Amino acid sequence: MNSRLVISLLAFVICVGLVPFGPTPVAAQRGAWDCSAQPTGGEAGKATPPSTSMPGGGFPRGGGELTVFAAASLSDAFEAIERDLEVANPDLSITYNFGGSQALVTQLEEGAEADVFASANVAQMAAATEAELIAGDAVPFVRNRLAIVTPANNPAGIESPADLGTDGILLVLAQPEVPAGRYARESVCKMGTDVETYGTGFTDRVAANVVSEEEDVRDVLTKVALGEADAGIVYVSDATTAADQVQVIDIPDEVNAVAAYPIAALAGGDEELASAFIAYLLSDEGQAHLASFGFETVE
Amino acid sequence: MSSRSLTVEPTGDAMIQGSPRQMRQSALPNAPSAAPAPRPIASAVIPKAMNGLAERTRGVTVWTLAALLVLFLAVPIGALLVRALGAGTGWDARTYDTLRQALGLSMATTALTMVVVIVSGTPLAYLLARRRFRGAAVVEALVDLPIVLPPAVAGIALLVAFGRNGLVGQWLAEGGVTLGFTTIAVVMAQVFVSAPFYVIAARAGFARVDRDVEAAAADLGASPGRVFRTVTLPLIAPSLIAGAVLAWARALGEFGATIMFAGNFPGVTQTMPLAIYARFGAGDMPAALLLSGVLLVASLAVLLGVRVVGARVREGF
Repeated sequence: MNSRLVISLLAFVICVGLVPFGPTPVAAQRGAWDCSAQPTGGEAGKATPPSTSMPGGGFPRGGGELTVFAAASLSDAFEAIERDLEVANPDLSITYNFGGSQALVTQLEEGAEADVFASANVAQMAAATEAELIAGDAVPFVRNRLAIVTPANNPAGIESPADLGTDGILLVLAQPEVPAGRYARESVCKMGTDVETYGTGFTDRVAANVVSEEEDVRDVLTKVALGEADAGIVYVSDATTAADQVQVIDIPDEVNAVAAYPIAALAGGDEELASAFIAYLLSDEGQAHLASFGFETVE
Repeated sequence: MSSRSLTVEPTGDAMIQGSPRQMRQSALPNAPSAAPAPRPIASAVIPKAMNGLAERTRGVTVWTLAALLVLFLAVPIGALLVRALGAGTGWDARTYDTLRQALGLSMATTALTMVVVIVSGTPLAYLLARRRFRGAAVVEALVDLPIVLPPAVAGIALLVAFGRNGLVGQWLAEGGVTLGFTTIAVVMAQVFVSAPFYVIAARAGFARVDRDVEAAAADLGASPGRVFRTVTLPLIAPSLIAGAVLAWARALGEFGATIMFAGNFPGVTQTMPLAIYARFGAGDMPAALLLSGVLLVASLAVLLGVRVVGARVREGF
């Protein structure tokens, strides 16, 4: 009797589990990209002219504790900059929180405390501004563009962006709300309009190849570098940092998306310290530093 | 605080083992009537001479500490429910779609995981509890290990084993089988992290069963299969159910290994925890709250349901 009860309980759990699983409209979900959406690259306000060289940054009081919330794509460059700045300013201590720009805005809205916010697109900076998280104005401090990456051994033999439409390749993108994911979809949509080069139904074919939507662009890079995915679309800067683990395939300018990264001091943070950090990034030294990580400088 | 709570009561556990066994024995003629009487509990009673004030102070301390932890657990859960109820406007088509796909996938994958875990975990638990074999200690340690491993380690372990460049995965890839980004990978991650919870509980259950009772049934001519079905299984059912619930809960909450090994795609690999994380990461807090609220209520319902059923099983029905 008891064993029968256990078995029927089990059967019940399984049945309940399988009912909603039924025919999920996966196919409908895939290939349903809205290519009519407005491009999100845009201008991120006026770029302040890069200030004259300020070696090591002019940090007030010689430093202090600075917390920076930054887009995941900035992690390598910012970590290198941290090392240099902390050597030049022994009293300066920088703490980073890297993530998808959306997630960072959510964290800030939920009360996370920080001094600087560096977003990978204008939309998220606008959201932060709207939520009155920002002190002063956001300025663009760096640009980035997209590239296709494949594992070093390129198992699917991808040679050009058109190959992203090849049936059955394992393509990984950042999720649509993450700037990198949005730019990637915009770029593919642009390719789709060029039927001569990319063939008919290109956008749908690419959308059907997406096997995972990652939380941020670094996760895309990791999945590709590990060889789990056949291809991914990331920023040129990401591709640069993993040059030994991936093959990089350029995306032509006319179908590429240019990401402008805005940065701003946060309300309630140490604005003096924040301004000094932003000024350093805009200085010749800071811009050169960012350029060495595959970013494009502003101006 | 009364002195009653300082005495050792016969535990529910003792009753679990006691009552069905005694029932079975009385049902079998000639069975040895050696059902152990409950042990006297007087020896565990704290001497009455204890200072009343000290006792009261201790009582207050115990209650305060306990209340602090309850409060700490209740506040986030309460806040989540309140915010989730307040996020009703987040119920758009997108959120509903995400919920339907993610909840469906979570239920289906955890159900499949439970089948795998119970079907292979019960024999393993039986062997570990009843048979002495070479390497048993190693197997036991291996089974315990995933419980203490952080999910990220489980994810990397699965990747280097079953990923396309992994130890086993590269052979599979040559044969044209890719596990990554499939629902099977989700189940694999769940089995890896949840099976130990079931095996440990089941092993303890098997170890507690009085072998004499099984022997008695066998002497009376019951086949080994019948002994297992009619004697052993009813006795260990509470252990199995408790283990299965723990394992199921762990599988349902599985996140780290899944997102690393299986990826994140709606309807294929995006279970509830991944969907919640994805909505949160997308800056869609209302949807993240709603999905969390649904998962919380569903989990609560299952836990309560299992409690009710478990109590009936214990009563021998």
